[in-house]
Amino acid sequence: MARQNRLTLSAALFSERMETLKKIWKYLSSMQFAILLLLVLALACALGSFITQGQTFDWYAARYNERIAALILAVQLDDAFHSWWFIAITAFLCLNLLLCNVIRLPQLIRRTKAEGDPHAIIGAACDVSQSGIADPKAVFSALRMQPKAVFVDGKEALVASQNRIGLWGAWVCHLGILLLILGFGLGQMTKTEYVVYGVPGQTRMIGDTGWFLTIDDFRIGLREDDTVEQYTADITVFRAPQGSTTMPDARRASISVNHPAKLFGMTFYQNSTGWAARMNVAKAGEPLQSEVVCAGEYLTVKDLPELAIYLAAFYPDYALVPGSGPMTLSGQLNNPAYLYSVYYRDELLGMNVLMPDEELTIDDYTVTFCEPQSYTLISIKRDAFAWLAFVGGVVTTIGLFLALYLLPKKVWAIRDEDGTWTVRGASRKGGAIFRDRFLTATGGTERNES
Amino acid sequence: MLAVENTLFTIVMVLYFAAMALYFVFIAIKKDPVAKIAVALQVIGLVLHTAALICRGIGAGRLPLTNQYEFATSFAWGLCLVSLIFVWKFRFPVLGAFAAPVIFLVIGYAAMQSKEVRELMPALRSNWLGFHVSTAILAYGAFGVSFVLSIIFLLRDRMKTQGFLDQHIPQKEKLDVISYRSVALGLLFLTFTIVTGAIWAERAWGSYWSWDPKETWSLVTWIVYAAYLHLRIRRGWQGKTAAIFAVIGFVCVIFTYIGVNTFLPGIHSYA
Repeated sequence: MARQNRLTLSAALFSERMETLKKIWKYLSSMQFAILLLLVLALACALGSFITQGQTFDWYAARYNERIAALILAVQLDDAFHSWWFIAITAFLCLNLLLCNVIRLPQLIRRTKAEGDPHAIIGAACDVSQSGIADPKAVFSALRMQPKAVFVDGKEALVASQNRIGLWGAWVCHLGILLLILGFGLGQMTKTEYVVYGVPGQTRMIGDTGWFLTIDDFRIGLREDDTVEQYTADITVFRAPQGSTTMPDARRASISVNHPAKLFGMTFYQNSTGWAARMNVAKAGEPLQSEVVCAGEYLTVKDLPELAIYLAAFYPDYALVPGSGPMTLSGQLNNPAYLYSVYYRDELLGMNVLMPDEELTIDDYTVTFCEPQSYTLISIKRDAFAWLAFVGGVVTTIGLFLALYLLPKKVWAIRDEDGTWTVRGASRKGGAIFRDRFLTATGGTERNES
Repeated sequence: MLAVENTLFTIVMVLYFAAMALYFVFIAIKKDPVAKIAVALQVIGLVLHTAALICRGIGAGRLPLTNQYEFATSFAWGLCLVSLIFVWKFRFPVLGAFAAPVIFLVIGYAAMQSKEVRELMPALRSNWLGFHVSTAILAYGAFGVSFVLSIIFLLRDRMKTQGFLDQHIPQKEKLDVISYRSVALGLLFLTFTIVTGAIWAERAWGSYWSWDPKETWSLVTWIVYAAYLHLRIRRGWQGKTAAIFAVIGFVCVIFTYIGVNTFLPGIHSYA
């Protein structure tokens, strides 16, 4: 007897749990949840845009205060769009869209069939109706619909339905968003990005890929007013097999802003530019080292690695403006100057501006700068899922078009016993505008009759 | 050409102002022919506005869609175009009366911006510029109209029954559907804007989505209008709640356009 009681209780408990699960399942796929998620996502995006991303505690503390800075870092607002809570919101949105589409699929198939079945249309509820119509074909013609003649229960009838494909709009749109998020998410997880910079003639390895990039040429196209029209770099990409004496498989391309090149599965972008110069180091008057360094780069002295000279900035048209420090008056090489700093064992020895005819002396060493030239910064990316995100974007757009512009509507007319016709119409999304058009077509004045 | 554009722009401003004034007169004296004159003035204004934009394009040697002035004047053009289409399609001159001040405000904002023609930076020298910005203009214009319609919707209850405005403004149910049509137009074009922008960004910057403030706020706007569309389907949330969402959506549009450039600079800082 006791065993029987226990079994009854566990069955009840199981049933209760199933009910709770059903409720959770229903809520997760509900439109109410979708609206909530959309609003939370919008709020999260807005928050992420207001707080400067990717900064340090000190930066946030200086901008706000230490307490807010700690809070920002604690809740990952410094990297909001990659935070666990942002990913969670997106994951719930995906789940909601997926469940919604899965649940709606059989209903949609049934509804699409029903919208094309004259008998089902005639049996459907209508939004608007008008009796005593003498010429129903004129009504269909005014509504730009092509009716089909059928007999239902021995009565003559005309039936037309339009834009059935519009029923699929929301479903297609949801699918597109899912593909888009999937493509974006996979891309974020798997994509690789590298940056290579240098001046013509230099060859650099692309990250740790084993591929090399040679900058064959770099040109800055200027207009008559000295504004930049285009940056163009000619590059060669190759992989040098270890120990091989044969010519590597090399490919050449010309890249400019808005015109990237795809080579060996990687996309090469002309990203930005800056100044570089040749740094000459001599020891006791004898040349020791001569290398091209870009602004922002160090040169470590060959026979004294603790000594490093840093090219902090280059001013092509140098001027020292009281109150604002060194600056350049134009992009032209009218008065070049080099801002350097010297470090010995990571300690700053000094910094200053050096003109082309000046020398910097550090004990036995002398440093000079010459041959200022533009360097190019090329970014290299590989995103195997970008295509999926674009397909998602296109599918979303198509879905929106179907949902918002191809509004399904159906109109049917049944011949009454007195020889006149009763015309009925239904369009859930057409609403009051459809009813007005229907009444205009039928010459009716009644607002609604279901 | 730029001098011609300047003159045309001034004439357009005067015409839009006159149309707005006439719309107010129409509401004050309740005479339909006045509304017809106001609509006619707006149509003439739109034609001259189109001519002004063409002159600007010829004078600058490129599409006039690249700085705050050019976008603002194009925004006013889009708003005027979409509002006139809705006035004509739904025989609804009172919509024009409510839209005219918004158009005048936007073109007034354009007048305050620098009209200097600057050469395009390399990133903007792309065929995608035309698709991306022109779809944004139409989207913003349609959202502007939905904003105006929602304001009318929210004010509808305060209007006297059987009064002049009551007879000239559709019932709330129809207003809601017209507003929906306007949001539908805007959302479709905003989607085109975001998709074409992503394709362009991929080519120019090597990343189709960078969470730049302009991108992020376009997405926020898209989400708000997507929420609006879902709200309209739910029973009990149509009408007033949906209208409030359409108003919030337009606030997002304005923030995306002006607020982001002012407070949240990013890689779109030239726009």
